[in-house]
Amino acid sequence: MNRQILTLIGSLAISGIVSACGGAAVPNQEMTSAKAAVSGAEVGGAQDEPQAELRLKHARDRIAEAEKLIEEGENEAAARKLREAQADAELALALSLEAKAIADAERSLKRVKELMEQPQS
Amino acid sequence: MKKQHLGSVIVLATAAVACGAPSLPPPELVSAREAYTVAANGPASQLVPARLDEAKQALIQAEEAWEDDPKVKDEETRTLAYIAERKARAAAALGGAAKAEKERKKYDDEYIELERKRASMTKEELGKVKSSLQEKEKELQREREARAAAEQKLSAALSSLKEMASVKEEARGMVITLNGAVLFTTGKSELLPLAKQKLDEVAKALGDQEFKKIVIEGHTDSRGTVKDNEKLSLARATSVKNHLVSQGLDGSKIEAVGLAATRPIDTNDTAEGRANNRRVELIVTH
Repeated sequence: MNRQILTLIGSLAISGIVSACGGAAVPNQEMTSAKAAVSGAEVGGAQDEPQAELRLKHARDRIAEAEKLIEEGENEAAARKLREAQADAELALALSLEAKAIADAERSLKRVKELMEQPQS
Repeated sequence: MKKQHLGSVIVLATAAVACGAPSLPPPELVSAREAYTVAANGPASQLVPARLDEAKQALIQAEEAWEDDPKVKDEETRTLAYIAERKARAAAALGGAAKAEKERKKYDDEYIELERKRASMTKEELGKVKSSLQEKEKELQREREARAAAEQKLSAALSSLKEMASVKEEARGMVITLNGAVLFTTGKSELLPLAKQKLDEVAKALGDQEFKKIVIEGHTDSRGTVKDNEKLSLARATSVKNHLVSQGLDGSKIEAVGLAATRPIDTNDTAEGRANNRRVELIVTH
């Protein structure tokens, strides 16, 4: 019982020391979210649309920077990079969806125009 | 002008820093505000309001971080502004996507409607063509029946004229030959009452037929002068024509000619032969 309390106090003290040193935890969750967003953009075909592809590249670059920062112990800065990366990847997906929707609408319009011009059989 | 403008900006910024007033917002925040304004004025507000609201919340967070402590939280403000800008752009893009999707659906509906219209128009036209063909067929059938009935009538009429007429199909048309002795008294061109009665039947039969033209030829035997014979043959042909017209046949389609003794069908040396030569021929062309 006493030992447990001591262990608890000890662990609290250790975490207190870590915090005091300014070292934030490794941003695992941010890393997971950013990578998931990149995968989502890739599945959404972001690499096929130039504007989306650019954003996708920004996201990947930021993830790479974050990994480097984590190695250097700069977890807080890494977390920021990863949040930015996620926003970039989500934007890439949105741009890709927009480009596809516009292309589909244009195809449908073209089809209507062609049918209108086609002589009655 | 440009230099002046740039100079005034630098002066203002310097003054702001010097006075301890809030410094200029980071470019990320400026971009985020612009991006949000663009998104809010686009289709996103109507079509993807949740995403636009998300962008708004992100911008508010960035603005608050900036207001809280422009200096200390500079990095965090930049990140929040960076995210807010991306979220605003994403909302605008998704708004654009939703708008395009709506348009696509509209065009696809139009396409289906147009195809349906074209199909029904084709059906309608086919129906018209079919019914007009059926109408024509019926008309032809009616004509065939009318013609058959008319021919029957004509042959019936002509059979009653047997004693005074013969009918032959020749290259020049259907030739009805009327015996002159039955039609006229010697030297005269007035039709006998019995001849009139018989001609009425001929007129009736011919009236039911679609004929192009009827040439009525008057013929004589070789006795007498050519001049007299021409005159008499023409007068007799004209008498027949006049009677047929009086029975309702179209006079403009009937021509009367006097051929005198130029075309004998028998010998002029015997009484019988001469009697055969005195005749009126009706050449009917269809």
